[in-house]
Amino acid sequence: MNGIHDMGGMDGFGPIEREADEPVFHEAWEGRVLALTRACGAWGKWNIDKSRSGIEQMPPEDYLRASYYEKWLWRLEKLLVDAGMVTREEIERRNAEMKHATGVS
Amino acid sequence: MPLLTIELAHRLITEGRTAKREIAVPAKFKPGDAVLARNIHPKGHTRIPRYVRGKRGIVERDHGVFVFPDTNAELAGEKPQHVYSVRFAGRDLWGPAAPTGDAIYIDLWDDYLDPA
Amino acid sequence: MSESGRKDNHHHRHDAPLSDTALRVKALESLLAEKGLVDPAALDAIVETYEKKIGPRNGARVVARAWIDPAYKSRLQMNATAAIAELGYSGLQGEDMLVVENTSAIHNLVVCTLCSCYPVPVLGLPPVWYKSAPYRARAVRDPRGVLKEFGLELPEATEVRVWDSTAELRYLVLPERPPGSEGMNENALAALVSRDAMIGTAKVVLTRKVTP
Repeated sequence: MNGIHDMGGMDGFGPIEREADEPVFHEAWEGRVLALTRACGAWGKWNIDKSRSGIEQMPPEDYLRASYYEKWLWRLEKLLVDAGMVTREEIERRNAEMKHATGVS
Repeated sequence: MPLLTIELAHRLITEGRTAKREIAVPAKFKPGDAVLARNIHPKGHTRIPRYVRGKRGIVERDHGVFVFPDTNAELAGEKPQHVYSVRFAGRDLWGPAAPTGDAIYIDLWDDYLDPA
Repeated sequence: MSESGRKDNHHHRHDAPLSDTALRVKALESLLAEKGLVDPAALDAIVETYEKKIGPRNGARVVARAWIDPAYKSRLQMNATAAIAELGYSGLQGEDMLVVENTSAIHNLVVCTLCSCYPVPVLGLPPVWYKSAPYRARAVRDPRGVLKEFGLELPEATEVRVWDSTAELRYLVLPERPPGSEGMNENALAALVSRDAMIGTAKVVLTRKVTP
């Protein structure tokens, strides 16, 4: 698709920002999302091409604003729901329960 | 119950999953051929970037036969075919302002290419 | 969207409340584990592998070996995947490798304009800048401008070759061996080779302060 991900040659993104001594994962959840993606992928409901296609379907403004692993999280939820491995309701319910349990509202 | 155990995770990471297929599929092109990247705009997943469509390049290498992402992404079959390293001159992609001599090498499938 | 914290000098602060995203991931993991779809111990192992066991030191060994051993370099050029596997590196996102060699006449730069494809078994997971819009957009259009930002200016006569990783071939740049390194052993040479030199955004120099 002619999506925002197809960035080769685009202008306007500004300088390349680099971080010295960058850690592999900036937050623990990033590594977790990567690992979850691998583990869920093992069920064979999608392949690497379908998973790339997933990220490409993110709304452009979200795609540009999201960090790399935030994109992975969005994609994983979409792949899981599309594959029927979880429902959107289950995800939101568990998320709400956990927020409530940790005192975040 | 979970499919991916520690052992299988280790195997997955160290063995990977090649997209190459040892299948005898005829190649449309060979190194040295001039090709034109097709002006296609698939609605679904594709790996032909917009910046190369309709541009002329030279086949530098035949990488062999690989799964075709456009169909594979839709779970509509692997459609294995040859993938080539195609060399494009910077000026052919970006116009006369690009430095001479710079080149962009893009890996493109048979289905993305026509003879130039 | 919550912050990823990458601009801060972030440490894991266990007393701080979890961000929205961290919580969401935790919730998702608990849901998937409960359904028997994922094994948390396997998740731990995957995270540890990428945090500790796979990184650019792998690729640096490949480069150093190629510099020292012409027969190895020849095998690397003929079948990079097999030659890299000789040193014990292989797997996901490196199943079909190619090595592109820098010379005095040619400088190679690797990018994935469409996403973040990267030769993981030899370089580990890619840095944020490689996966970000500025690099992905500009590397194919203005590679010399990109290199200049990295502090690398090339003579006009040098041909710059940019490799857009659109398929499953993964590219490793074989940087030029720095002048003055003739007496060095393989380990010492490997220590000189930075990750950026193997992507193409740096050259290898004799004195180096960090080993990223």
